[in-house]
Amino acid sequence: MSERNRLRSIFTLVQLNGIIPIRTTPLYVVNLLASPLSFLFFIYIVSHGTYVAYGITGGMVLTMLTVGTSLQADLTHYRHDLKLQDIVVASPVEAPIYVAGMALSELVYSLPALAVFVVLFVAWGFATVTSLVVVAGVMVLVWAFACALAFTLATYFKDVRETFIFSPLLSLLFTVLPPVYYPISALPGWAQVAARVSPTTYAAGLVQGAVGLQPLSLSAAALDWAVLGAFTVVLFLVAAVKARWREP
Amino acid sequence: MASAVSSVGLGKKYPGARPGKFALDDLSLEIPTGRVYGLIGRNGAGKTTFIRIAATQLAATQGTVYVLGHDVRNEERAIRARIACVPQESRPLYFLNVEEVVYLYLKLRGLDPREARRRTQDALDELSLTPYRRSLVSRLSGGLRRRTLCAMVLASDADVLFLDEPTTGLDPIARREVWEAIRRASRENRTILLTTHYLDEAEALSSRLALIESGRLMLEGTPADLRARVRYPYRVTVQGSFPREELASYGKVSEIEGGMLLFTREPEAHEVARRALERGLRISMGPVSLEDIFLDVVGKSIEEDSNGPEKDDASLEVES
Repeated sequence: MSERNRLRSIFTLVQLNGIIPIRTTPLYVVNLLASPLSFLFFIYIVSHGTYVAYGITGGMVLTMLTVGTSLQADLTHYRHDLKLQDIVVASPVEAPIYVAGMALSELVYSLPALAVFVVLFVAWGFATVTSLVVVAGVMVLVWAFACALAFTLATYFKDVRETFIFSPLLSLLFTVLPPVYYPISALPGWAQVAARVSPTTYAAGLVQGAVGLQPLSLSAAALDWAVLGAFTVVLFLVAAVKARWREP
Repeated sequence: MASAVSSVGLGKKYPGARPGKFALDDLSLEIPTGRVYGLIGRNGAGKTTFIRIAATQLAATQGTVYVLGHDVRNEERAIRARIACVPQESRPLYFLNVEEVVYLYLKLRGLDPREARRRTQDALDELSLTPYRRSLVSRLSGGLRRRTLCAMVLASDADVLFLDEPTTGLDPIARREVWEAIRRASRENRTILLTTHYLDEAEALSSRLALIESGRLMLEGTPADLRARVRYPYRVTVQGSFPREELASYGKVSEIEGGMLLFTREPEAHEVARRALERGLRISMGPVSLEDIFLDVVGKSIEEDSNGPEKDDASLEVES
């Protein structure tokens, strides 16, 4: 397959799994907005507006993570119920093309939610060149590791119903328990250590630091980037080893 | 004639299968280029496993398959560039319309959009899907969805097409439209490996057939070869009362509603027909159907599920 054809295949997957379903059922977009906006609303009410900035930065991380949880459900459904993966395997489309196309197609669903949060981000006066660069970088890494995790998990699921169990669990483990919607200092000491297991802790730390919600030294930021990057690389390696294109 | 697909001692044991339970067991087949090749067998006989290995979707445990001269074990990229597959029980994405299913599949394979559009239109016309081109898949009947998938792979530029029960759920007219499209693809020198439960379909389409049971090859050849290899290539139906013992001396007898069914050789068939007519009984006779051969070889109807790896004694009916 030529490079041009590879790009065409990726775009076709984006069209097939991202653009057309939204055109057919626009409620998909609302679905992806619902959770982060619900959190934001809840935080606004409970904190009387004090922690709304955490609701905005946390909402961005949650939106990107939701791309992964949606992706694992789609991959499982397509593989087992529709046999789409078998159709694609028996074609010139290579596994990395399918991975890239499907991951990008899920990103399409999150764009309206991201747009809403970017507007709020700017409205709250967080937008500087540095903060925008940091937020963009963090979003890309969260999207990448969420997709890698989705490909790995989808390999093991035998039925789409299993993804119904894992999606809320992943949200709990990656966005509710770790300090995504609040400062890490709000956690007791042992929980702060436990939170370091989640890559979203580093993602949220970087975003919160970039907008001035938390003090973040240059060395601490460098460490957060390194750990977040390492998580992403490791999850990609796990996906590359475990995710199956041809079944054993 | 060169083989488009050939398997050599192909074996498959699924992870977790009980000891001795092979989905495929030492299966060697030669599928000629530019022909329709029918793979028949009961559910669980190993047809889908064979197709999935040949289509590079599943790894073999023993042996290998060569597709267009390439080994599925380590040359899958070269194979995938030239094949297309309709898997068993596959369904198109429900939020696409019929035209999008075909067009986007072709684009996904890397076809130029203009060429993809032209091929899509041709395939929709050929399979009488043009009136439904803007219909969402979610609103189509099961048969139309299946036909859409057939259009999708037939429109492709693949040299080898793997069609795993492509006409399941289609009405008789739609089945014949798919048959015609398959024949046309074969005339374009494309190779089609077809599995089906409809033995009339296998016989109507296939230049060669393989009958597999419990993962093993039971019979292989042209439909005429298959008839020649069964012990009793003729069937005689006698309506009315005819002594069973007398009939049994000519071949294999079974009772049917209102009479007897005899499998026998051609001279004996004529003899029985003469005797039945002398008694004023109604008879019908002719060469055995593929269904009869299947029943004779496997000992069970194709509609029955395969129970496992046990070999059937009925294979003794086949002359070596």
